Amino acid sequence: DRQTLVAVLQFLRRSNLRESEEILRREARLLGDDLGAAALRGSVATIASSSPGVAAVAAVPPGKGGAGAGAVGSVSRVGGRPLPAEPLGTERGCASRSVSVVLGHKGSVSGVVVEDQPDVSAVLSAYNQQGDPTLYEEYYSGLKHFIECSLDCHRAELSQLFYPLFVHMYLELVYNQHESEAKSFFERFHGDQECYYQDDLRVLSSLTKKEHMKGNETMLDFRTSKFVLRISRDSYQLLKRHLQEKQNNQIWNIVQEHLYIDIFDGMPRSKQQIDAMVGSLAGEAKREANKAKVFFGLLKEPEFDVPLDDEDEEGENEEGKPKKKKPKKDSVGSKSKKQDPNAPPQNRIPLPELKDSDKLDKVMNVKEAARRVRLGPECLPSICFYTFLNAYQGLTAVDITDDSSMIVGGFADSTVRVWSVTPKKLRSVKTAADLSLIDKESDDVLERIMDEKTASELKILYGHSGPVYGTSFSPDRNYLLSCSEDGTVRLWSLQTFTCLVGYKGHNYPVWDTQFSPYGYYFVSGGHDRVARLWATDHYQPLRIFAGHLADVTCTRFHPNSNYIATGSADRTVRLWDVLNGNCVRIFTGHKGPIHSLAFSPNGRFLATGATDGRVLLWDIGHGLMVGELKGHTDTIYALRFSRDGEILASGSMDNTVRLWDAFKAFEDLETDDFTTATGHINLPENSQELLLGTYMTKSTPVVHLHFTRRNLLLAAGAYSSQ
Amino acid sequence: MEAAKMASPKSAPKDAQVMAQILKDMGITEYEPRVINQMLEFAYRYVTTILEDAKIYSSHAKKSSVDADDVRLAIQCRTDQSFTSPPPRDFLLDIARQKNQTPLPLIKPYSGPRLPPDRYCLTAPNYRLKSLQKKVSSSAGRITVPRLSVGAVSSRPSTPTLGTPSAQTVSVSAKVGTPVSLTGQRFTVQIPSSQAAVKSATPTTPTVQNVLINPSLIGPKNILITTNMVSSQNTANESNPLKRKHEDDDDYDNL
Repeated sequence: DRQTLVAVLQFLRRSNLRESEEILRREARLLGDDLGAAALRGSVATIASSSPGVAAVAAVPPGKGGAGAGAVGSVSRVGGRPLPAEPLGTERGCASRSVSVVLGHKGSVSGVVVEDQPDVSAVLSAYNQQGDPTLYEEYYSGLKHFIECSLDCHRAELSQLFYPLFVHMYLELVYNQHESEAKSFFERFHGDQECYYQDDLRVLSSLTKKEHMKGNETMLDFRTSKFVLRISRDSYQLLKRHLQEKQNNQIWNIVQEHLYIDIFDGMPRSKQQIDAMVGSLAGEAKREANKAKVFFGLLKEPEFDVPLDDEDEEGENEEGKPKKKKPKKDSVGSKSKKQDPNAPPQNRIPLPELKDSDKLDKVMNVKEAARRVRLGPECLPSICFYTFLNAYQGLTAVDITDDSSMIVGGFADSTVRVWSVTPKKLRSVKTAADLSLIDKESDDVLERIMDEKTASELKILYGHSGPVYGTSFSPDRNYLLSCSEDGTVRLWSLQTFTCLVGYKGHNYPVWDTQFSPYGYYFVSGGHDRVARLWATDHYQPLRIFAGHLADVTCTRFHPNSNYIATGSADRTVRLWDVLNGNCVRIFTGHKGPIHSLAFSPNGRFLATGATDGRVLLWDIGHGLMVGELKGHTDTIYALRFSRDGEILASGSMDNTVRLWDAFKAFEDLETDDFTTATGHINLPENSQELLLGTYMTKSTPVVHLHFTRRNLLLAAGAYSSQ
Repeated sequence: MEAAKMASPKSAPKDAQVMAQILKDMGITEYEPRVINQMLEFAYRYVTTILEDAKIYSSHAKKSSVDADDVRLAIQCRTDQSFTSPPPRDFLLDIARQKNQTPLPLIKPYSGPRLPPDRYCLTAPNYRLKSLQKKVSSSAGRITVPRLSVGAVSSRPSTPTLGTPSAQTVSVSAKVGTPVSLTGQRFTVQIPSSQAAVKSATPTTPTVQNVLINPSLIGPKNILITTNMVSSQNTANESNPLKRKHEDDDDYDNL
């Protein structure tokens, strides 16, 4: 009889008897609920008098008396206006899918799909209105009252329920076109939500009609993904008991449909603990999401001999002893012969081989490292600030090469400008005609191929058609990447200062891009909510990392190039595996879009900064938050660890650079079984002790930070006069 | 962003005041003063476009006046045209799954600058040199002539032999596109003098970019490859594989 019911409904719809259709559906649902037959007959009578076609319909429902309490899965799209002031709920659904939960019966989902109007996107799931729209406020306030009266220890956890419930109920009202009820619902309860959800609520307040929801991908994703809550078993039992004993357990239905409650056994969490972890658009992370094994160790560096120069020996032998020139082995590679269990196998992902120029680079690196200043709380780095003048708020991206020889700025006027930081000017290679004339066997051929006539301190690269939001030098300093609002990522050659490739894939603004530490691969993230992994010689991406609910604003490679961290406007940070594209970690806790990420040099920790002014520290191996650095008052756009990981520098829009003691922040981690199992940590309030210094610029927000090989801190920003 | 004067001057028209209020309601507190003008302009343009479309639909449905349905339809149609939103999540997850299944490609060692095939690069010249002599160009011709690299030239990697001009239509041009009327055209590499050097040089060069021909450059005076050019091509290719020379296209001189 289910089929006949659906057939009748379809017939009614086609003959435009919308009201009858609604009534019939309501009846059908009522029959399943065994509500008073008197009410049933009464309503049938009233409607029968008003619309002629219903007489036939009225005959049908009594015949359906046998329709049991099982789920009725009827799906159709009703375009009509809601019948006002009904004592019984109306039932509406969306065309593509059919899910219905009838008053606590988590019944079977019937597979009846009625493709009515194809313009409804497949993503929208059925929003069965469980109750009368005017009663929503009562349901919500009832729950509020219950939670407020519950025990202190449970209250904090149960209060997590408010926000997702509020949003889902509001969206239901909007979707089912009860505009006035939605508005009053919003007015009454939006002030109760936590302060960190205010931005979301503001966006929500502008969604007053169903049509508004269609264009907003983030809201659609929010509706279809389950909001994750972590609640202890005791609190959960309390909630469940309360919701199930009430007659109108519409809230229970919403909870079952839209929320995922991750139950853990143990002490309920305190408000402080909860506040540290919540804030993202999808709730917290499920515990299984952070259980995959992550190879956070570093790849072994190849061993090679570092020849000692005479210069290095200058200060050493004052006594005039005969100098012993022993070639120094590269100490990094020879530390341990055994494979680090936490490091990925060398060939896990294909990496480009080392060229001779790379080897020379590494030699230089080692030499510089020998002269590196050991930083610490007593020995803070000197900071050299590069201020971009006359940028008129146009500076949107900065990057500095690893050996600190060049600095690039991406601007809102779509240009990319490269400067040389050292006295050595920027030169491009000679033309082919001239190149034929040089002596190719000479030792300084690499110098001779450069054309002195083109030497200049500044090179401007034109090509993008929108503001340049991200720039990245390749490790071998041959290439430069830039990504822009025009949806492309461009590869520029730093030998000819021309554009080589435009990678088209994102069709929407690309917010960030970065080369892999070994070159060849690069990652980009943009407005289309995905991050893509590219290789310079493929015009299409190799990997697509999809999963974020909002724009991907920041993308960084792990030092071993096997993982990519992405920070997003949905306030989560995800760690992705390059090998297979899986998301291996989800870190929640920020209360605003994330704009900066930094991996520690040993690969074990990740620091993230967002618009909420906090820097959060994460242990990648365990998937836990291990620190919170409070101090900044505005968005943090730059984060960098010093070369040996002793100091974390953060730069922000509040015109300051702050230095934090990273060693101290990462020592003494509690990693007992409970913490790893549940992911609950007690963060010590030690931001003040960890803060080593605050350095203010006059009025220049800090956009980029870079530690030179000798641990001098370079910072960059554009002067903004106000 | 510069902080704008928060209170719009009293003399601002009502629309501007409304717009300022909207910005405030949406939480935007700092904006340049011209943002209001831009927003008003956008709003006006959008509304008039929608209403004009709605009028058209309404008259098509032979209604006497524009009603809400017409406006709704107009909005729907325009949304798909002007405002595209990023693809939905399930679609993204689907393509991500597909893409992520293929293993990462192995990296060929010692292959010079690792760039995509030339067709996908921006390294081709976007100009061609004007010839001195008037010619009949039968086709618009291709302005950007993609440069051939080692793999792209399927046949005839070396320049056509000298001295047999007419018989050999360069197969490359077929690759490039319209063969035009090549018979009888000399697309050969004609070196008036010092041919010997060229001859010795060319066979060794697998990548002979100079064979690339713009089909519209037809006529007796075609491609001149100077000896210097050829030799430099050789050496340039050998000396530093990291560098790509784009200057070979300068060679399309005219005799």
